Amino acid sequence: MIRIKKVELSLAERVKSHIDAITTAVKQAIRPDRITVEYPRERRRYPDIFRGFIVFDKDKCISCFRCAQICPANAIKMEFYDRYYPSIDYAKCIFCHFCVDSCPTGALRTSKVHDIAFKSLEEMHLHTTQIMKIPEIIREDKVTVEYEIKDGKWRLVRKKELDKLEVEVPPPVIKPRKAFCIEPENCLGCRLCVTVCPQEAITFDRKKAMIRINLEKCVGCGLCVRQCPMQILELKVVA
Amino acid sequence: MVMGVIGYLYGLFTSNMMDIPLIKPLVDYLLNIPGINFIVALILWRPFFAIAIAPGLGALMLYLLWIVYFERKLTARVQWRVGPLEVCRPIRGLIQALADGIRYFFQEAIVHREAHKPYFIQLPILAFIPVLIPIMFIPAGKVVGIKSDYAIQLIVAFIALIPITIIAIGWASNSRFAYIGSVREAFMYFAYEVPFVIAVISMIFIYGSGNPYTAVEKQAIVPGAILNPIAFIVYMIAMLMATSRLPFEIPEADQEIAFGPFVEYSGILFGLVMTLAYEKLYIMALLFTILFLGGWSGPPIPILGDLAPVIWLVLKTVIAISILVIVRSIYARYRLDQAIRLGWSSMLGLSLISLVVCAAVRWIL
Amino acid sequence: MDEYYIEVPVEPPKEVRSLFIPIPPEYVEETYRSEDFLVLVGPQHPGSGHMRLIVRVHGDIIKEVIPDPGYVHRCVEKIAENRLYIQNIPLVERPSIMDAANLNLGYVRAIEEALDIEVPERAKYIRVILAELCRIGTHLYDAAILSVFMGHTTGFMYPFGIRELICEALAVMTGVRFTTSFIIPGGIRRDVDNKVLKYVYNITFAIEKRLKTFEKIFIKNPTVIARLKDVGVLTKEEAIKYGVVGPFLRASGVEYDVRKVEPYEVYDELTWEIPVADAGDGYSRFLVRVNEITQSLNMIRQCIERIPEGRVISDQICENGKEIRGSLFDALANIVLPTGEYTTLTECARGTAVFTIVSDGGSNTPYRLRLLTPGWLYLRGFMEALKGERLADLQAIYGSFGYFPPEADR
Repeated sequence: MIRIKKVELSLAERVKSHIDAITTAVKQAIRPDRITVEYPRERRRYPDIFRGFIVFDKDKCISCFRCAQICPANAIKMEFYDRYYPSIDYAKCIFCHFCVDSCPTGALRTSKVHDIAFKSLEEMHLHTTQIMKIPEIIREDKVTVEYEIKDGKWRLVRKKELDKLEVEVPPPVIKPRKAFCIEPENCLGCRLCVTVCPQEAITFDRKKAMIRINLEKCVGCGLCVRQCPMQILELKVVA
Repeated sequence: MVMGVIGYLYGLFTSNMMDIPLIKPLVDYLLNIPGINFIVALILWRPFFAIAIAPGLGALMLYLLWIVYFERKLTARVQWRVGPLEVCRPIRGLIQALADGIRYFFQEAIVHREAHKPYFIQLPILAFIPVLIPIMFIPAGKVVGIKSDYAIQLIVAFIALIPITIIAIGWASNSRFAYIGSVREAFMYFAYEVPFVIAVISMIFIYGSGNPYTAVEKQAIVPGAILNPIAFIVYMIAMLMATSRLPFEIPEADQEIAFGPFVEYSGILFGLVMTLAYEKLYIMALLFTILFLGGWSGPPIPILGDLAPVIWLVLKTVIAISILVIVRSIYARYRLDQAIRLGWSSMLGLSLISLVVCAAVRWIL
Repeated sequence: MDEYYIEVPVEPPKEVRSLFIPIPPEYVEETYRSEDFLVLVGPQHPGSGHMRLIVRVHGDIIKEVIPDPGYVHRCVEKIAENRLYIQNIPLVERPSIMDAANLNLGYVRAIEEALDIEVPERAKYIRVILAELCRIGTHLYDAAILSVFMGHTTGFMYPFGIRELICEALAVMTGVRFTTSFIIPGGIRRDVDNKVLKYVYNITFAIEKRLKTFEKIFIKNPTVIARLKDVGVLTKEEAIKYGVVGPFLRASGVEYDVRKVEPYEVYDELTWEIPVADAGDGYSRFLVRVNEITQSLNMIRQCIERIPEGRVISDQICENGKEIRGSLFDALANIVLPTGEYTTLTECARGTAVFTIVSDGGSNTPYRLRLLTPGWLYLRGFMEALKGERLADLQAIYGSFGYFPPEADR
């Protein structure tokens, strides 16, 4: 417990406080501790885990719809090209990067771009083709600023180099999952899973009235699991 | 008849012209051209020069452009930031005040329904009368508008009229916050007036007369600040109180009553009332320089002749104000009753002590 | 002093009768009949934040203040009923964006209590570092608002400049400057490596050094002391009666801090003190928060020195112990809490926050989320402290309480 006592200032203490305040201000006026970054001519260097504009890699996407389902602001809409790919509405995105953390193959990754201007609200809904690389930026900055903290002193260090805005991230380390039918005796034979699989990994065996899942083709997207009306499909970790 | 009047005026002007060796050849050449010689003689006539160019309206305009920019830059420097920078990047934003002033011309000046319309519009202009008349009495060497033995008392009397116009401005706005601001302005006027007048009176006692020429002559060896340092401090604090500068920004408290008496103004009327406080500061600082800092005395510059004292006076004034604006970044705002208590207890006591000091100085000298 | 009245019938001004003001018209009539008048310190005012205060003034003395909160009500509790449990994490930390980690922590602890999840030690230490960083950021923000309400613009710029260091610390740890959404049920979203922790350690010293300059120019400034001393006094009984929480309760002499009474995370393993003052005026409310900043800096340094190695995500959630990238959806999207009501108390920067989740046992969205932020809890005490003070003290007391309307209105 720290007890804070009532403050009573005598005349001498009051004069000293006045003088202290005035000398502090005069010292700052002569040699300021300035911390201004003159954006956009100078740019801050942000760490590599900075949450900026989300970049999409089409080859890694398995159309699992996980990013669209987890987005708290409902900013991701899946658009159909040859398969379903995500498109991001930056009028709604709050840059929480739950989608980046949900993607099992690492198709969505972050970048260091944080200042994009749009001319209208409709333009802010970026289609898949527009988020496959970072947008064209006219780099007005010539200097990169970093914070240097040494011995309790905080200074700005300016370097005449441009900060790279793209970030290289290694793919996420997770165990692969594949779909398995856990109760084949309850299968209705509706073949909804066959229709919905984007990799065409499920085939229906008419004689045995059962589905067969080709584990080579299955990427573990989970669309069949969500589609099955009897809920007898499940994603399991494969060793 | 008309030629006779013009001839008489011309003779009046040429008898009292400024003597500047730097441009003397050009002036002599121009005085020989009929037509232009009248205008040149008018411009260089000492009273006109004092009122219209320096230390009058021309210097006032330049001072306004400078002080708004400098105050923002100095405050920014203390506060770890840079201040206005973008208006003209190669000179680091020096003409920011000019840009602001031009912008006020393009804004719509709204007069709201409940306002008393004639007073609302005319009072900001009428408020300039007591602010600008003292310029006529302030001398700088031989350059003076009206020479008078009671110049200092007249200046103090005109400065005492200014708060009445501010109260009237707040009253004409007919709005709740403007009313509270006017009442606060009345209270603040009541608080600083007596110590201010006593400080000026003690300096007049030391110099022996209210003539600025006597005041500057008596400060040939020692400036007034050292002769009577207590009156120096009281005058400085009264300057802060009179022009609503922090820590006494009470009538115009931005956060409490949303800019006080001037809350309903916009456009060019707002530009006018914004400069009112700065111009009052200029007049009080000119008087401050004459009474305490030696006026226009300084090493003579032979090439400039009559212009040298004027430049010294304006330079000293502007430097004194530039140092005073740092107070804005140091202190918070006092409450109204604390400021009045300060004015009527500490400052009144200090000013009475300054009277005693001046009696002692008078007895020594 | 005797007061004399002249019975002149006074009509209330037109704007008070015609505009929408949420007070009954009888109150307005009664005010204007009894020599007072109403000042509306409304939402568009340089010194009122986002709320309307209807002040009844007798000359210069405030008789009564009626608050009109709800200007920035954003229906956090209702929206939370339509989102998955994990999608509510960015939602509940937005009411008070500087204090995001504390609100985030309260919500996630309620889910962990329901699902019985064990959080690894390293994750607990990093959570405490984030919570204390956000506490310092909020206290600096409140100090800046207090100083700008008193006209001291330097006192506004300095705390925001120091807060830049806090945002930098949060950015190198989590990737975002505030509203980090970093705490999830089971731990945190990714690991923080030791180079970054050393950088944060150095930042605490830089903050202390810059705070000394701030102290000389603002905290010990005689004008500031004159404005805040003996202003808005709440005695100990009054503070308890009106339900004041947090550092404002501690400034009136009550020794209560949730982190000492019901410790969570690792608060019982660190050595720290709670500052308590006796005066109950505006200046002691401010001084309590200044001392709390020093205590928080100590706590961050102790956490960084003592932090163990290990996983940061519980193995009940994810096999990869270092980051949740890739398995956030599979692990946490469809969690269902068992039937019941789960409540946690958290010490946010401005006081006690209460989170209650009611679950019906079958759905993956909460049935009801009740959130009580500290601003809402001490609003009544704030209104009581204003009675009897001058009109100019309204802003000083507002600043000394650190009332933040978006947090109170949710």
